[in-house]
Amino acid sequence: MTTDTGLTVVRSATPAWRRRLGSVIAHVLLIGASVLMLYPLLWMLSASFRPESEIFNSHSLIPSSVSLHGYISGWFGLSRSFDTFFLNSLTISLLCVAGNLAACSLTAFAFARLEFKGRNLWFALMLGTLMLPYQVTLIPQYVLFLNIGWVNTFLPLVVPKFLAADSFFIFLMVQFFRGLPRELDEAAMMDGCSPWRIYYKILLPLSLPVLTTAGIFTFIFTWDDFFGPLIYLNSISTYTVTIALRTFVDSTAESNWSGLFAMSILSLVPIFVIFLFFQRYLIEGIATTGMKR
Amino acid sequence: MTARSVGAASDPPGRAVTPSFWSRIWTENGPGYLFLLPWFIGFFGLTIAPILSSLYLSFTNFDMLTPPQWVGMDNYVRMFTNDPKFYQSMRVTLLFVAFSVPLKLAFALAVALLLNRGMKGLPIYRAVFYLPSLLGASVAIAVLWRTLFAGDGLVNQGLALIGIQGPAWISNPRYSLWTLVALAVWQFGSPMIIFLAGLRQIPQDVYEAASLEGAGRWRIFWKITLPLLTPVVFFNAIIQTIEGFKSFTPAFIISGGTGNPVNSTLFYTLYLYQEAFAFFRMGYASALAWVLLIIVAVFTGISFLSSRYWVHYDN
Amino acid sequence: MTISLDRRKFLMGSTALAAAGAMGGLTPAQAADVHLRLYWWGGQARADRTNAVSDLFAKANPGFTYDKEFNAFNDYWPKLGTQVAGGNAPDVFQMDYRYIVEYAKRGAVQALDEYIGKGLDLSDFDEDQIEGGRVDGKLYAISLGANSVAMMVNTKAFEDAGVDLPTRDWSYDDYKAKADAFNSKSNGMRLLADGSQGGDPPLENWLRARGKALYTADGKLAFEADDLIEWFKMWDDLRKANVCVGPDDQALDATAAIDTTMITLGKAATTYANSNQLIGFQAVNKNPLTMINFPRPKAGVGGGHYRKPSQFWSVNPKSAHLDESIKYVSFFINDVPSGLILGVERGIPCAKHVRDALAPTLSAPDQLSLNFVSNLGDLLGKLPPSPPAAAGEVATQLNTTAQSIAFGQTTPEDAGAAFIKEAQDILDRAAKKA
Repeated sequence: MTTDTGLTVVRSATPAWRRRLGSVIAHVLLIGASVLMLYPLLWMLSASFRPESEIFNSHSLIPSSVSLHGYISGWFGLSRSFDTFFLNSLTISLLCVAGNLAACSLTAFAFARLEFKGRNLWFALMLGTLMLPYQVTLIPQYVLFLNIGWVNTFLPLVVPKFLAADSFFIFLMVQFFRGLPRELDEAAMMDGCSPWRIYYKILLPLSLPVLTTAGIFTFIFTWDDFFGPLIYLNSISTYTVTIALRTFVDSTAESNWSGLFAMSILSLVPIFVIFLFFQRYLIEGIATTGMKR
Repeated sequence: MTARSVGAASDPPGRAVTPSFWSRIWTENGPGYLFLLPWFIGFFGLTIAPILSSLYLSFTNFDMLTPPQWVGMDNYVRMFTNDPKFYQSMRVTLLFVAFSVPLKLAFALAVALLLNRGMKGLPIYRAVFYLPSLLGASVAIAVLWRTLFAGDGLVNQGLALIGIQGPAWISNPRYSLWTLVALAVWQFGSPMIIFLAGLRQIPQDVYEAASLEGAGRWRIFWKITLPLLTPVVFFNAIIQTIEGFKSFTPAFIISGGTGNPVNSTLFYTLYLYQEAFAFFRMGYASALAWVLLIIVAVFTGISFLSSRYWVHYDN
Repeated sequence: MTISLDRRKFLMGSTALAAAGAMGGLTPAQAADVHLRLYWWGGQARADRTNAVSDLFAKANPGFTYDKEFNAFNDYWPKLGTQVAGGNAPDVFQMDYRYIVEYAKRGAVQALDEYIGKGLDLSDFDEDQIEGGRVDGKLYAISLGANSVAMMVNTKAFEDAGVDLPTRDWSYDDYKAKADAFNSKSNGMRLLADGSQGGDPPLENWLRARGKALYTADGKLAFEADDLIEWFKMWDDLRKANVCVGPDDQALDATAAIDTTMITLGKAATTYANSNQLIGFQAVNKNPLTMINFPRPKAGVGGGHYRKPSQFWSVNPKSAHLDESIKYVSFFINDVPSGLILGVERGIPCAKHVRDALAPTLSAPDQLSLNFVSNLGDLLGKLPPSPPAAAGEVATQLNTTAQSIAFGQTTPEDAGAAFIKEAQDILDRAAKKA
């Protein structure tokens, strides 16, 4: 809300009627685009209520008859019901969020704000790990985790996040940290602040937008991830929602399609709620810090 | 350990080693390495060994089921001299990156700017625009894309209303790649959110000052918003390029893993995946991966060099 | 690097200690305790049946416990490959006709010959199904059911068009003869899916009926460019005469997955499939389906079909419980109550006493499936030799080639000759490696 005052100042430079026209045009554009964006969801929603025999050869959005069969057969469709999978996905995703926020922000702080020998080399190596397709490191990594005894646990999916293995988020945070004015830490340094205090008391509070972004993305990426859980989780009691969904559909045999679409819809609910709830921190980011720069 | 040896290596010769020397090394480098400690543990404990293994495997004929045998440069030689699919997949991928990355970034930035005006219903729009990205690359997307882009699909039904007879977009080798570009652009949510976060980080007082000086909206965008946003633009460009080169799942789900029709959607990593897991040539796939790494690294390196001239850090 | 190695050694050591401690502390020291890991692909329907049989086995053999894992077909292979590479393969796992050669030639599955009669009971097991599990003369896999290639037929489409349903005597010429009558009332639907783009089964069937085959016993191509050119030309004709669907429609079906086949999408009235898939197809098709053999190349010519193992159990040669794993497999294929639970979901049971017990209990579509495979008659030819290791890659290339002809990028003549060379290259490269 506070940010609006800032924007009002900008707006007051243009006459009222132009502002209004501009806003109407913007809304028309946005609503038009929204329909395009929403169509797939509506289509999936409709597919989840459809009889299976209609899913693949009907163009209409409205099913000929509405049935909850998909939701019931989907929820109880595997030998464990979906609450297990939701709980597993939630556990893994939340742990990954915690890991990424803590470890990536520490690493990014070092790369963005601290001087030390070899910084560019390490940074290049960090970025380099992003560039190798995961398909070829899969087997060596599996062998490594197998030797540690972590296969069929959540550890291979979660522990790397606490060790800043996600270069995407390190790089993201580095870019944002570098955008913050350096005078802040220089002034704090003069006052005898340790790097830890600068990181914890100055940089983190100012970085709420990027931390929120990183948190939301980590949650969603982890929730949607399938290759890691597929390879490392064996027993069905450890399956995530994404893996459970994939076991509905075997292209060679009888598949539970309406169950797939119904559970796909349900699996969107948590990530959408997380997004809706936390996106406001993207807006309020600067305001809540109460700092005038 | 590592911190000290790095310091020692750059020690100017002939200098007396005094306690103050070590403490100077520590104050200059210590905090940096201390903050990097988790990353070092992860990098040396979990990340580097699999990466080096894949480099080693690229010089072998590893087939997953039996131990690898050293074959020297064979994989690399074959790739450049005797593998039309390598060139085809490289062509497809370069086309995909060249079109999807700029388009996606342009959309993301335009929508982020539009949404940043602080208009009514902003959270709803933002959520709606992010929705396609939430769907990721689920099986549902494959079915949906067929419904939209088949010869008698919704897109052509729409075109028919204005008298245009559209082709079978998704199943015709001349157009199929463009449906994947469309999918990539349609899922512009992630860069959009990052742009939004970047826009939110621009201090409002800069705008206030500018508008008091009577600068127009367009001028404010070019002179203030865009320069201050360049670190984020840079990030998005680099990341989207890397992700574009590594793009796998869209082609995998929509072509059912085949890269067809007639190899027109055979993305580089899809070809790599086929070689590794369908045809049991993990050694060759590893070589493909390292060639990709070098190509992407060159692109990224050039971007970093150029960034000195257009990316503005620290106001 | 040294740091990471030490760290790994340390962690390995500590987990091993912890594991040993847990074993000693928690489990009663019973020598009879056997823990088997089972892994297969399929849906929950298959899992329910497999789990029930496993429970029956555990009841008959106290002390057996399991990890029962399954994934969809496409997820199954990367995961199995990774586990084998890591030395962590399951004890008993499902195998596919296409992949068995790859796994057998590389020693990733156990040869079972020496166990026949000693733990592995194959006394009334169909000879052709045993043969189908052999690679280079050794038995590596136990068939879990026989099936055959088959056409799925949309009966309502034929009814609506007033055209007789295809019979077992139909040849490609018959399809051509009926096309005009069918097209006049079919509202754009065609009689046939494009079989040239359906992987290698339609071509194999056609070649076999003409006295040839896809591969020789030593893994070379068993047909010539001329055969292939004739095949491609036939499909060019069928496309031009609107007997089969056009390339724009056929290319929607990238992998012959049930949901993308021409019959499911309503583009064709018949489509190429396997006899055990009728129920899967029916689930996503509104109109009633039936099943018939692949078209004959010419009237009165048979011998294209064979009874193919739909899938196998294989055993991990590094299993700590080799004997018990084989005992499990033997129980799975021979126990009658288990056979009744499994039904024909994986194909027709191969042990005669199980099949006899099962036959009267089957539902109508299952009966259709059983009868189809049991009564192939003159359509049945001898079992082909096991395909070479790179057969899957050749089939992929075949599809791409057929597609480029259909889209007019090349001619049957050019493509036929080029394909033979490409296929030979693929086979040579694989042979060099194996």
